[in-house]
Amino acid sequence: MDILAQLIVSGISVGMVYGVIAFGYQLTFATSKTLNFGQGEALMLGALVGLTTINFLIATGMSTLVAFALMLPIVLIFGLAQGAVVEFLGVRQAMRTKSEAGWIMATIALGIIFKNLAENIWGRDALRFPSPLPEQALSLGAVRIQPMEIAILLGALGLMVAVEIFNRKSIYGKAVVATALDRDAAGLMGIDTRLVITFSYALSSMSAAFAGVLVAPITLTGPAMGGALGLKAFAVAIIGGLSSGYGVVVGGMILGITENLTGYYISTGYKDVPGLLLLLLVLSIKPAGLFGSTAIKKV
Amino acid sequence: MANKIFLASILTSTALVGMTLVASAQSNNPIKVGLSGPFTGGSSSMGVSMRDGVKLAVDEINKAGGVLGRPIQLIERDDEAKNEVGVQIAQELINKEKVVATLGFINTGVAQAAQRFYQESEIPVLNNVATGSILTNQWPDQKVNYVFRTSANDIIQSAMISNEAVTRLGLKKPAILADSTNYGQLGREDLTLALSKLNVKPVAAEKFNIGDTDMTAQVLKAKEAGADVILTYAIGPELAQIANAMAKLGWKVPMVGSWTLSMASYIDTAGPNGDGAIMPQTFIEAPTTPKRKAFIEAYHKAYGGDRMPSPVSAAQGYDSAYILAAAITQAKSTEGPKIRQALENLEAKIEGVVTTYDKPYSAKDHEAISPNIPIMGLVKGGRVVPAHPEDLAGDKAVRVKPKG
Repeated sequence: MDILAQLIVSGISVGMVYGVIAFGYQLTFATSKTLNFGQGEALMLGALVGLTTINFLIATGMSTLVAFALMLPIVLIFGLAQGAVVEFLGVRQAMRTKSEAGWIMATIALGIIFKNLAENIWGRDALRFPSPLPEQALSLGAVRIQPMEIAILLGALGLMVAVEIFNRKSIYGKAVVATALDRDAAGLMGIDTRLVITFSYALSSMSAAFAGVLVAPITLTGPAMGGALGLKAFAVAIIGGLSSGYGVVVGGMILGITENLTGYYISTGYKDVPGLLLLLLVLSIKPAGLFGSTAIKKV
Repeated sequence: MANKIFLASILTSTALVGMTLVASAQSNNPIKVGLSGPFTGGSSSMGVSMRDGVKLAVDEINKAGGVLGRPIQLIERDDEAKNEVGVQIAQELINKEKVVATLGFINTGVAQAAQRFYQESEIPVLNNVATGSILTNQWPDQKVNYVFRTSANDIIQSAMISNEAVTRLGLKKPAILADSTNYGQLGREDLTLALSKLNVKPVAAEKFNIGDTDMTAQVLKAKEAGADVILTYAIGPELAQIANAMAKLGWKVPMVGSWTLSMASYIDTAGPNGDGAIMPQTFIEAPTTPKRKAFIEAYHKAYGGDRMPSPVSAAQGYDSAYILAAAITQAKSTEGPKIRQALENLEAKIEGVVTTYDKPYSAKDHEAISPNIPIMGLVKGGRVVPAHPEDLAGDKAVRVKPKG
């Protein structure tokens, strides 16, 4: 029982990271029906910018915790800007020409460019990210958990709740929701839908960058860190449903937990298999995802 | 038929005369030696240290007048630890740069893919870091082999790891954790075999991918299987994740593994969690002989710092350059077959950093490091120190390959 609890707790914290990245996929899909396939690279860039900033701040004599807190807004702003750039360079043109696949190619290409850029700036090595919280594990009953894993859980949930509240309560957020519901109608009501789509890309990369600095202290930071995470988050977005914010949270947890359970109870060699099986299963039974609403595409 | 042979011999001799003329015209041209290793990426601490060790030796050799009166020029290439890049580099070094020999290789997979081209072109390779057991015996059906090694292969290492855990520490329930690369999986096989010779069966054998960040499942499995020691075959970052996962789960058993536990990326990332790990080392950064003292000082004078990123790679790289220089001197030629013959019958006794090389190779044996040479190292306070200081005491400081 203790082991099961330990596996689930560890799975949840990994799953929440998948969830935040998948949340980013969901944000842009809602407004523009497009995705940023370079989401993993947005995460990686956020983490590396965060690393440079935090190292600079620590060098000025701050404690790691203060430096981490001061670094966060910089990383979030960087994420916003990076997302806007992706939308401007990669998606806008494809949407204008109503290209079905143009944005796929463009966002993948941008992801590769960002990765090469990062390799040139930060080198190809994996770097250690200073941990803002003590690395000593806490005991909750028989379950042991690192403080940073709790921070990942709370931070990820906090970010997603903040974005949801913003979308539901603020006038700008309502413009986002309106665009998501019906882009043409929103445009007729005087909403600059193009700006809204840029904004959703900015928010999407911001959440990825945030996930990057959350996960960096318990892993390593480097240009290669985004690839696998971005791909897993994509699976999560499919499993949970691209139209549901809650879906990706649950989807993330499902994937994180199944990975750990398979690793323990079946074989660590097959850790990645059930996630993919689940993906195929969901796609064949409920293509909109476990929590997605089935949309009818009118032609 | 006889005519043909006659004609051929005339042609060959003309060609030879031609070559001698060219050679004498080039007599002060540098001798080109290839250097292939990962200078970026997860294996770069080993690659960079190896390169720096080789460069240090070549600088010394050139300052002392070079080889055959000519300086050695290193052609350095970054293989990024990728097999396909390693192959491209091998072809470039052989066909375009026309190197007379190549030093290097950190990754078993890269070496396995690239060495074939040297074998075909009859150009010797001194493999100075990669440990895969197969590497010096890739072509058992061919008459001659152009691959030589100055590192301790995985058969030696897995035997040392098993002995350390089972015999010296008395731990009979090992769990093997290995990554899913060639290195990890071949190492796991070698380890299982070495353990079976001691009548020990691993209680668990777990696997993970490069880049995996959560080792909870693997470590929990080892723990629940009742393991009393963890044996590892993986590289730095993932090894650090294992140490961190053990610390997280509050489970402390000794960790014994292949020499990669001495990588800076393991020691730095795992921090205090990484202390106590034990691994085979051909060289420990400690001035136990005057030669080693001079080497360590020269290294830090040239490259700064007070700790080599990978001392083993630096030392083996340094020694490999001296062995090659001695072979070229003895061959009085830069032709591959002659250098190979010289390597297989080296007359000069070379006092290296790792050991003293007295006839390190023969036609059958291309391994310079014998099982008695490496000792066990221990991670302590961010450095690698001897696990059992008595191993290096007195005249045991320099351990020499037995004659045979």
